[in-house]
Amino acid sequence: MNESVVISNVFHHVAWGTTISVYFWLVGASAGSFVISSFGWVFGIKRYKPLALTASVTAISMLMLVPILLIWDLGKPLRFIYLMLPSYWHATGPMSWGSVLIMTYPIAMIVYSFFVVKNNIFWARTIGIISIVLALSTHWYTGVVMELNPGRILNHTALAPILFLTGAFISGIALLVWVLAIRNKFVPAEKKVEWVLIEEMSQFMMFGLVFDAFLLFLEFMQGLYGSQAEVMGHHVLMTVFQGPYLWLEIVTGLIIPFGILVSPLRKTKSGILVACFCVAIGVYGMRIWWVLGGQYLQTFY
Amino acid sequence: MSHQPRSYGLQTPGTKGVAGVKRYGMVIDLRKCIGCMSCMVACKAEFGIPMGVWRTWVKVADKGTYPNTKRTFMPRMCNHCDYPVCVRNCPTQATYKHKDGFVLQRYNRCIGCRTCMVACPYNARHLIPAKRTDEKLPKLVVDKCTLCIHRVKKGVVPACVQACVGGARIFGDMNDPESEVSKLAAKENLTVLKPELGTSPSVSYIGGDWEMMDESHSYTNRTEQLKDEFNTFKENHEGDAFGDLVEGQPTMAQVGKNFMGFCRTIPHKAKDVIDAYINLYFR
Repeated sequence: MNESVVISNVFHHVAWGTTISVYFWLVGASAGSFVISSFGWVFGIKRYKPLALTASVTAISMLMLVPILLIWDLGKPLRFIYLMLPSYWHATGPMSWGSVLIMTYPIAMIVYSFFVVKNNIFWARTIGIISIVLALSTHWYTGVVMELNPGRILNHTALAPILFLTGAFISGIALLVWVLAIRNKFVPAEKKVEWVLIEEMSQFMMFGLVFDAFLLFLEFMQGLYGSQAEVMGHHVLMTVFQGPYLWLEIVTGLIIPFGILVSPLRKTKSGILVACFCVAIGVYGMRIWWVLGGQYLQTFY
Repeated sequence: MSHQPRSYGLQTPGTKGVAGVKRYGMVIDLRKCIGCMSCMVACKAEFGIPMGVWRTWVKVADKGTYPNTKRTFMPRMCNHCDYPVCVRNCPTQATYKHKDGFVLQRYNRCIGCRTCMVACPYNARHLIPAKRTDEKLPKLVVDKCTLCIHRVKKGVVPACVQACVGGARIFGDMNDPESEVSKLAAKENLTVLKPELGTSPSVSYIGGDWEMMDESHSYTNRTEQLKDEFNTFKENHEGDAFGDLVEGQPTMAQVGKNFMGFCRTIPHKAKDVIDAYINLYFR
């Protein structure tokens, strides 16, 4: 054997941990919910108007949890204010862009929800357009903030933001379906959201699943045919991160819900709810391997 | 090839080979390294680096089959890149590229977001733990090698260079043709870590073993003992690293455990925040 064997080295910690993966999931679910909210007021699909407020409130609620995670994850929580001070703001840092987006997006959503409640079509649509751009940008940023690290081979792909946005769309729908199902239990019959709409949303989710699977396949091919580091990254996914990658994302988050949504079960309430639950946790599996897996290999370097 | 200066935010344009501009760097002659770890100790002593984190460290590997074996050493540190990714990605201008080639950290600006740690391709940055022997020293901000700028400005070489018993670490201005590092660069074959990233490191190696310089090799070719040591270290580590996974244990259970670890730090951090507020306004 001529290969060298490492007998001593120091261990480096994973810098961004579980907290960041939860944050990515929450922002994604928020963006996805908001996309559905905008169907009625921004894109003019009238049958979606009744669920606009519930969707935007769900999106806002998800986003309200984010500062708790992000601020307390900082080494110096009180210094989060530096991200907003012009004298500290660094134009080339992706996190600088993210801090602007994460502050403006909830404000825009709250203003949009206000005009939805007031039934002000012009302003709801105008602010809705701004909010939808911010929603997509905020989640685009989560892909970009990991992508723009050339040393993290698993994350350094231009597909990252698209993967994140697709995951956001499907997890947002999944979460919203559950919120609407729970809401329907408690509101009077005339205020209930029609189940036909929920079925239609679950079909949107199915198309999202197909696109997500396609993107994952592209990444998979890159891992198989890539450089040594990329092949190793793929190996780490199939071993250390087998739980979140294979079982949670691919099996639970893609195969099972897809199976449900193409079978007669797609017409049943329980089928849709199970599919949505699987998608939501499957997308979280992706957030885990994306954040932790990308950093894992290098901790031994 | 013509020099193409490019600048990202707070860094000066690349200074590699630019006449009249200093570019302090280091050449590490691996043929002379005996693996005594004096550099690690000197660095720890110079800056009071807490346990569990390192500004410089030495990777050790065995090569070959008995009786034809060789032990190789690979001292590692911040590469003080000409085009540092960490500087580009820092959201608060806490890290910057000094005109003389040093990549430096400003603790008073650092928010501890660890973006630079994720950005660094060389693992050269660490978060200072919350517990330090000297409470007055910075905590929970990112720290890194300064190439001992405080010594260099006084005309003294960095602590690790001074402590190196084999004379393996050679420090100097890489743009000065009369410096020892320049002469070595002209005479020897120098290699750098991850040249494909285009970071243009200021730390070069003579006699670099490609396996030792490879990222995935450190993971694939570990001894079982080292793997166990890492697992023990991860299991017993207390601090703000909520992403470490112990190999061989269920991933999702550890993800949950890490999240609980994060939740447990919130009261401690909240106490620090309240204390800081009281100190600022009421004392």
